[in-house]
Amino acid sequence: MSKVVVTGIGVVSAIGNDVAANHAQLKRCETGIGKANHFTSKYVDSLNFAEVKLSNEELKAKLNLTGKKGISRTALLAILAFKEAILHAGLSEEEIQSYRTGFISSSTVGGMCNTDELYADANLKGTPSEFVSAYGGGEHTLRIIEQFGIKGFTSTINTACSSSANAIMLGSRLIKSGRLDRVIVGGADSLAKYTVNGFNALMILSSNPCKPFDNQRDGLTLGEGAGYLVLERAELSEDKEHLAEVLGYGNANDAFHPSATSDEAFGPCLAMERALISAKIDASAVDYINAHGTGTPNNDITEMFAFHKTFGKIPPYNSTKSYTGHTLAASGAIESIFSILSMRSNELYPSLNCVDPISNYNTTPIQELNTTADLKVVMSNSFGFGGNCTSVIFSKV
Amino acid sequence: MFITDLKAISPQLTYNSEFLAGKKTSHKDKVFNVIEPDYMEFIPKGLLRRMGKAVRMGVGAGLPLVKNNTDIDGVLIGTANGGLEDCIKFLNQIVEYDEGTLTPTNFVQSTPNAVAGQLALMGGNRGYNITYTNGGTSFENALLDALLLFEEGTNKKLLIGGIEEISDYNYNIDSLSNKFKSELIEDRDLLSSNTPGTVCGEGAALFVVENEADNYLAQILDVAQITYPNEEDITQCLIEMLNRHDLKLTDIDTLMLGYNGDINHNSWYEYLEDSLLVNSNSFSFKNLIGDYRTCTSFATWLAAHMLNGETSFYPHISRRTVNTDSPKNILIYNHFDTVRHGFILLTK
Repeated sequence: MSKVVVTGIGVVSAIGNDVAANHAQLKRCETGIGKANHFTSKYVDSLNFAEVKLSNEELKAKLNLTGKKGISRTALLAILAFKEAILHAGLSEEEIQSYRTGFISSSTVGGMCNTDELYADANLKGTPSEFVSAYGGGEHTLRIIEQFGIKGFTSTINTACSSSANAIMLGSRLIKSGRLDRVIVGGADSLAKYTVNGFNALMILSSNPCKPFDNQRDGLTLGEGAGYLVLERAELSEDKEHLAEVLGYGNANDAFHPSATSDEAFGPCLAMERALISAKIDASAVDYINAHGTGTPNNDITEMFAFHKTFGKIPPYNSTKSYTGHTLAASGAIESIFSILSMRSNELYPSLNCVDPISNYNTTPIQELNTTADLKVVMSNSFGFGGNCTSVIFSKV
Repeated sequence: MFITDLKAISPQLTYNSEFLAGKKTSHKDKVFNVIEPDYMEFIPKGLLRRMGKAVRMGVGAGLPLVKNNTDIDGVLIGTANGGLEDCIKFLNQIVEYDEGTLTPTNFVQSTPNAVAGQLALMGGNRGYNITYTNGGTSFENALLDALLLFEEGTNKKLLIGGIEEISDYNYNIDSLSNKFKSELIEDRDLLSSNTPGTVCGEGAALFVVENEADNYLAQILDVAQITYPNEEDITQCLIEMLNRHDLKLTDIDTLMLGYNGDINHNSWYEYLEDSLLVNSNSFSFKNLIGDYRTCTSFATWLAAHMLNGETSFYPHISRRTVNTDSPKNILIYNHFDTVRHGFILLTK
């Protein structure tokens, strides 16, 4: 069966507007969490956010879209990271527009980041806003399809916080099945009153920068961003640099509660187990885990239980959400890209803000920068509302 | 893959046997609302009260299937918008209470993956679980994923479906972009209206599909989709799909077309009906249910019953009868807003 390899990556997050900037800030061990400057909400003063350091106008200018109406921030972030990924992979216009090229994106908030405009349009207050046909979850996908002339299979996934991990999984499967030769996969989400108020109502937002795996953790920090990976059939991309191989993936549902993980961590355990089976490797082969690690009391302890059950001896792990906040649908793709950066540069980045680590399993998240790590296989976890759990495994090429 | 069980909640009496016995329900309204069953028989009252319409319809159609098929090993749902009413209710709270202290119920119910999550939860199903939100090809996405899972051999029996609800809010938003007719129209006149716009519909159609089965209603052979196509792309997309199964255009004896009464949408369907597949019997379905982004799940429900030999509803949907043989290969073709186009190929 065909190998699926990563030939291009693109990312925008609170720690940088491209892959190089994200990588540099990871290496400096500096968080992107702080006060929001562009996002407007009552909570901007009281809560921390991990905001992309570009206004909508700056994003548009960067993308040569100045003056264009009706493009949500979600779509702008998506286009920025998408462009970097296809440029990195050196995809020609012909390749992008081939029937054998697919595009699978994901978002939770989609165009609903324009909360106030949506309120007015949905309640027929005033004249239609510029965003009136751009609220749907799949609208950013459509905008990219239109702008880049994609003709092949396209999809948008919403499995909450595991969305773009599922995009990576579906893209790989489509290549392996022979239906596609290459596929651009990932996701995007922007800060929105909708999600901030939703997570706040569930009382899982921390008033401090999130503290994944710390005993004093008290919630997550919302972030925003986008990440895309170009996946290609290995034998058709031999002339290119292979950044990693997509070795395996697993999807499961926790079937426990709409917004919490079971104490037994059924879903996380099954997702990791299925990923290991699909990768045809033993748990002991995993050298590093980029954890879901949201910083909520419920997630981190159940995820550690799942690590213990799956691995016995838990490999080095961190939560890069301590840098980027929780980027929701984009997190699976962004954290997969970070895992690949770790593997390629032999670096492990410390999990930030963990001073009093959960000690139940005699292990702590990565505490300091390691630049001589020998990583051959890495795992990235994404677990979401609705019980949706997905793990993805990459290996060094 | 084989359809072995199915359930639909629609603007017709599809939940019980009345529609299949030939009874058609007429609609004359700006929206065609679903006829909902008595959910209390199988959904606990407290839980039902918290469910938005999309979740209620999805669980209402899906749960009986899950209960009758305890060996289902995955849930795949296509829904362009999920629980929109809950979504805007929550949004209204945000604005009207100035981001004050809000209750999270609407928020949790509004996430499009709430239906697949709730079905997994209520059925105790820890298998593969996914939700597609790709506008007018969300259900087609779910079908392709199911075909892949069976090819890969990881799954044997899946629950798949398409769900969309009408809320006042999404009706408002879609009408601001001129998707609906300004005049009030009766269902039987919808397809011959010769005016722009369509009528807003809703529904949930869910299926149990298996990779091997002796007793089944119909097979789903394949699915294909394309965005922003021209006629040449449409032809190529269709022929490539048929080639994968050694079929020719002339093997398609039955067409099921997404005519929605919008004069600006017809030419795509006419191209298939009058140019590509002139010798096929032709049927419509949106005159029964209105138009919505995952309506091809209802068309699949109809096609499965047609391939299973049921004919009593033919008079309501028949457009062209070339011959009276039982259908063998049915092609469903639909587009939403002329942007996202999908094909579903079914056979006996």
